[in-house]
Amino acid sequence: MNKNLKIAIYSGDIPSTTFIERLIVGLSGRNCHIFLFGFIKHKVSYNKSISVFAYKNTKFHKAIYLLKYSSLLFLFKNKKKRKLDNILKKKSKNLLLDKVKCYPVLWHKPDIFHVQWAKGIGDWVWVKEFGIKLVLSLRGAHINYSPIADQALANMYKEQFPKVDAFHAVSKAIGKEAGKYGASKDKVIVVYSGVPKRVETLIKPKQNSFFKIISIGRPHWVKGYSSALDSCKLLKEKGLEFQYTIVGGKEEIELAYQVHDLNLENEVILLDTLPYSKVQENIANSDLLLLPSVKEGIANVVLEAMSLNTLVLSTDCGGITEVIKDGKNGFIVPIRDPEAMANKIIMISDLQTTEKKEIREKALKTIVDNHSEQHMADGMLALYKNI
Amino acid sequence: MSVSKSDIITIGLVLSSVPGYSETFFRSKIKGLQRHGFKVILFVDYINEDEADLGCEVVVAKNFNAGVLKNTWYSFLALLKSFFLHPSKSLTLYRLNKIDGISFKENFKQVILNQFFLAQNVDWLHFGFGMLAVHRENVAEAMQAKMAISFRGFDLYLSPLKHPKCYDLLFKKDIKYHVLSQEMKEDLLNYNINSKNIKVITPAINTQFFKSERQAVFTEKIQLITVARLHWKKGIEYTLEALAHLKNKGIAFHYTVIGDGAERERLIFAAHQLGILDQVTFTGKLSQNEVKTKLEKANIYIQYSIQEGFCNAVLEAQVLGLMCVVSNAEGLSENVLDGETGWVVTKRKPKLLTEKIVEIINVSEDLKQKMRNVAISRVLSEFNLEKQQEKFVHFYQN
Repeated sequence: MNKNLKIAIYSGDIPSTTFIERLIVGLSGRNCHIFLFGFIKHKVSYNKSISVFAYKNTKFHKAIYLLKYSSLLFLFKNKKKRKLDNILKKKSKNLLLDKVKCYPVLWHKPDIFHVQWAKGIGDWVWVKEFGIKLVLSLRGAHINYSPIADQALANMYKEQFPKVDAFHAVSKAIGKEAGKYGASKDKVIVVYSGVPKRVETLIKPKQNSFFKIISIGRPHWVKGYSSALDSCKLLKEKGLEFQYTIVGGKEEIELAYQVHDLNLENEVILLDTLPYSKVQENIANSDLLLLPSVKEGIANVVLEAMSLNTLVLSTDCGGITEVIKDGKNGFIVPIRDPEAMANKIIMISDLQTTEKKEIREKALKTIVDNHSEQHMADGMLALYKNI
Repeated sequence: MSVSKSDIITIGLVLSSVPGYSETFFRSKIKGLQRHGFKVILFVDYINEDEADLGCEVVVAKNFNAGVLKNTWYSFLALLKSFFLHPSKSLTLYRLNKIDGISFKENFKQVILNQFFLAQNVDWLHFGFGMLAVHRENVAEAMQAKMAISFRGFDLYLSPLKHPKCYDLLFKKDIKYHVLSQEMKEDLLNYNINSKNIKVITPAINTQFFKSERQAVFTEKIQLITVARLHWKKGIEYTLEALAHLKNKGIAFHYTVIGDGAERERLIFAAHQLGILDQVTFTGKLSQNEVKTKLEKANIYIQYSIQEGFCNAVLEAQVLGLMCVVSNAEGLSENVLDGETGWVVTKRKPKLLTEKIVEIINVSEDLKQKMRNVAISRVLSEFNLEKQQEKFVHFYQN
């Protein structure tokens, strides 16, 4: 494949989630040109090697956008336009919107179209008809549990996955899971997430008068917070002085009721979402980052905590066991087991300072060795080049 | 306070929408009151045409989420009505709100939004859920009517967590409260409400419909069942965890969950991850006849809720002769009497639920029959619609 690859990173939204934005920025300036298509939520400044071809979510903007690309394709690539129109007519439920989404891709024609969310793969298989290679990221819910509860989705995956040229798996575990829906093993490449270099000023000695535990993430059932709160009840009964904060859990009535129900108002704080810098600060100030999830591809917040000198306790919820070895660079407990979680937290809180220090250092080494942004960008570039 | 507008007592029942055909509680309440000579007017925020056949007058609020132009027009009409059709009631509402320290803007808004009440004359304005009375605290008094509120569980336990202090003003008013259980009454008393203003009227079921001679025999494969919305407060995830322990103990079972809801994906995944998906059927929502048929084929009914006002489904299961095991969430331990008509297990403790299920399986057939008989006769005598209707008549007459 040619030297300056044109790679479309497609998540639908611009800007996308933190980790997809990290991938976009990490790849830019690496002998490749990044294209971003989709709906623009708010303006973002990227460097020159990133081109944004996006529409605002208003009828007027979409109409202008469609008119522009329809005209360009009609005048200069009419045969291809007609071919795409035929494809879209056969499958489309909303032909106009599909044209708004697809025409710019056909016009700018990247070498690689990288879809970030598996549920949308059916909308983009057409790119292969025009010589564009199709890459799919295997992430979280889309692979781990949605197709289990939704047979139609599972069937769609089974139909479409064999057409994908390469899969980017965020962990070996999720790559294996995608195998159940026809993702061929030799097309699945594991590229772990990377975290930015840590801000050294955040690293300070832990001086909490009680054991400070933190979880970060949206209040979704997959995060297992209900199990974590059951653990907190046990910790309280066992007499541990602790404080547990869930950043992002404020608006969730299920959690608020559980805190009230278990009489944990003095021990548990449910916070609203915080800006990234504040999240980092909170992690760095905590004694333990807890990931109580029932299923994860890989949790970037775990990598952040390991980088920020904070011990991590995670459930064995998927890819995390590829990063953390229990008792070496962090801690692992079984999923859905509040008692095991509580016992492990007490064990961790009882560790000697030197033991904690040793584990934190090993955690940092794991991140530096395998999970830097540089590693991620190198891995992704190799994936693209080897298709 | 109340001024009877005629010899017939008129009840203004406030709901968010017209109760559907499956919502038997409000439908039977309306019919029961009419049978006892009351006139019922239903006030709703919106209406589904196909569900309007209630045999009572239905007053629908204007939809103020209709865009700026329509909202302005509706507000203008509401103001006209307040000035010319019922100026006294509108002014009273404004004054009462002002006394309560409600800002001019909010007060003005409330007068407009609550106009649809003021055109009617009622003796009682009864809000079907606690949250429906918020921002309408003075409407009943402005209408010169008595005010009543039914608390049904989530509105007493969950709404104040989501909207802190939402009932602060409401609980200062002269209101007659209806709650579903003694436990709810105790919890309401914590808000410094006078005990004599709180009346416990438990839910009731159509005992004739649910009466059955068909009782499933306990076999090698135990048939377990729950009828519930797939909502976190129903505790079905904990139930699935308990059943995974049951499987590990080598006990053969099948678990049927009847109902649909937002947590479907969560629960199917939990059953999958816990390795019991083959032993669990999620039927989705079923008709009342289908529910009855499924219940008749089951041995043990499980209601391991996290939060529950009272729960009609448990009453239905009891009258059909199922062994019932429930959590101790709010009203459930009054619904099922532990050791007499079923079993009550501490909530959020799946291992305890497993042990209890094993215990139930091993209970002698004689004891099962004895409990069954006690449960059936208790539900028939205590939780029938006629008795509930009499209590509501009493509620309004005293």
